[in-house]
Amino acid sequence: MPEVLASEIMAAAGARELRDGEVVVVGLGLPQVACVLAKRTHAPRLDALLEIGVMNMSPIDTAVGLADPRIWYRATCWSGFLDVMGMNVHRGVVDVGFLGALEIDRFGNINTTLVKDDSGRVRYVNGSAGGNDIASNAKRVIMIMRHEKRKLPEAVAYLTSPGFVGGRNRQELGLRGGGPHRVITDMAVLGFDADTHSATLVSLHPLARLEDVVENTGFPLHIPKEVPPTPLPSQEELRLLREEIDPKGVFLR
Amino acid sequence: MADKVKTVAEVVQTVPDGSHIALGGFAINRCNIVVAHELIRQRKKNLTLSQGVVGLDTDLLVGAGLVSRLIMGGGSLDRFGPVHCVNRARETRSVDAHDYSSLTICFRYLAGALGLSFIPVKSLLSSEILERLEAGSAAKDIKRMKCPFTGEDYLLLRSLNPDISFVHVQIADRDGNSQIHGARWENEEQAKAGRRVIVITEELVPTEYIQRYPEQTIIPAHRVEAVIHQPYGAHPTAVFQCYDYDADHLKLYVNHSKTIERFPEYVNTYIWGTKNHWEYLDKVGGLPRMNELRADRILGY
Repeated sequence: MPEVLASEIMAAAGARELRDGEVVVVGLGLPQVACVLAKRTHAPRLDALLEIGVMNMSPIDTAVGLADPRIWYRATCWSGFLDVMGMNVHRGVVDVGFLGALEIDRFGNINTTLVKDDSGRVRYVNGSAGGNDIASNAKRVIMIMRHEKRKLPEAVAYLTSPGFVGGRNRQELGLRGGGPHRVITDMAVLGFDADTHSATLVSLHPLARLEDVVENTGFPLHIPKEVPPTPLPSQEELRLLREEIDPKGVFLR
Repeated sequence: MADKVKTVAEVVQTVPDGSHIALGGFAINRCNIVVAHELIRQRKKNLTLSQGVVGLDTDLLVGAGLVSRLIMGGGSLDRFGPVHCVNRARETRSVDAHDYSSLTICFRYLAGALGLSFIPVKSLLSSEILERLEAGSAAKDIKRMKCPFTGEDYLLLRSLNPDISFVHVQIADRDGNSQIHGARWENEEQAKAGRRVIVITEELVPTEYIQRYPEQTIIPAHRVEAVIHQPYGAHPTAVFQCYDYDADHLKLYVNHSKTIERFPEYVNTYIWGTKNHWEYLDKVGGLPRMNELRADRILGY
């Protein structure tokens, strides 16, 4: 079997964060891949919801986004925002919000709205869509993103979706959901300290070096004395990812 | 009763400049393309648009300069690219954009649909989205307060009642009973919040068909002012169980929309250069292309 890709380690690490029987709201891309992997291995009773109003889909073709009916295929429910985002996310019954991001800062705040280049010029991108609603109200939030210094800044260029804003706890922020839980990157898995709410290293992917993680993080990352390696995907997980879940390598590249 | 079935040109003639229009598309699905094109052909101006997740319909109208205010929850053209015209208009501040989230837009429509003047919500708190709304012209639409029963922090959002809600559906009868298949994002709340509701339908069916599947009726006839019957009316975006999105045309669109210099070429060719949607469909490949895009009966795309 060929060398394991960083994206495959990310998908497997994401899958392991999900427990059987949980309700997860996912975005397209690696979050969806991780969710399917979890469902096909240790969490067959996982419920996957899409904000557009789709539940427990079993797609057989790769979709370009949530608006692509390819990802609505063989769902158990079609509804809309009011149901998924209102009566599930806002109601507080969603265990995990699984999100991508442009930028994530040390307190798990997410930016999906705009980027600033070196000259300070602003370029708008997608905005919140369901991101703010999910980050505000899901019991825990898992984020997945490439590990680059500019994507992990001290403070996000725009705070679209709140984590532990200013290091404060969620109750003080007026938020119901539990907030950021994990950031899964192509080098490591990050978590958040229970007291300071600041990002801390949870595990280091095989082949990634600690100094590279520190070098590529734009804020002071807490490094515990012992940092375990992120488990590699098993042979069966790799087979599922490569042969069944993303055989064309659209997301696992 | 007068026939509600109208042409898009007839309906758009009744849209005053400065109207607040809610559009029913989401990214690249069931976008109000036929309506957007006709609004452009009839040179409407100074529109306010609202939409949960903006798509190609809003991007076209903003790019063509018809829009002065946007009330939106986010948006893109999925993997085909960003909504370049919308993003550019925000960067140059040529539109006043009120940025919310999917759910908060849906809640504002829900309040409007229920006849409430406001609705409490637990999203947007402690975010920059809220700070910017409070600092701009949207400040009149939001307030913070504590629940009088529990003391919990809430955001109150003013209800939204668009002057006209346009929703593209798969099936409607001549009276306006409208059925939506597949996911339907905030279409129901958005339509029912509208002061006027116009549906654009792929297929016009006898009421007897509606009576066989009444549980699929999302918007009932008495709420609908007019029905526009336009097959392939959402092209190049997808309509579940009718046709797939036209990937080639979406790429062509993004190639034009990504620069302000090239965008007019798109509008000139495909909108100004066509009298109506049938001519537009001919220009983008006609029947052979539409046949290629037709949905598989099992897959729905």
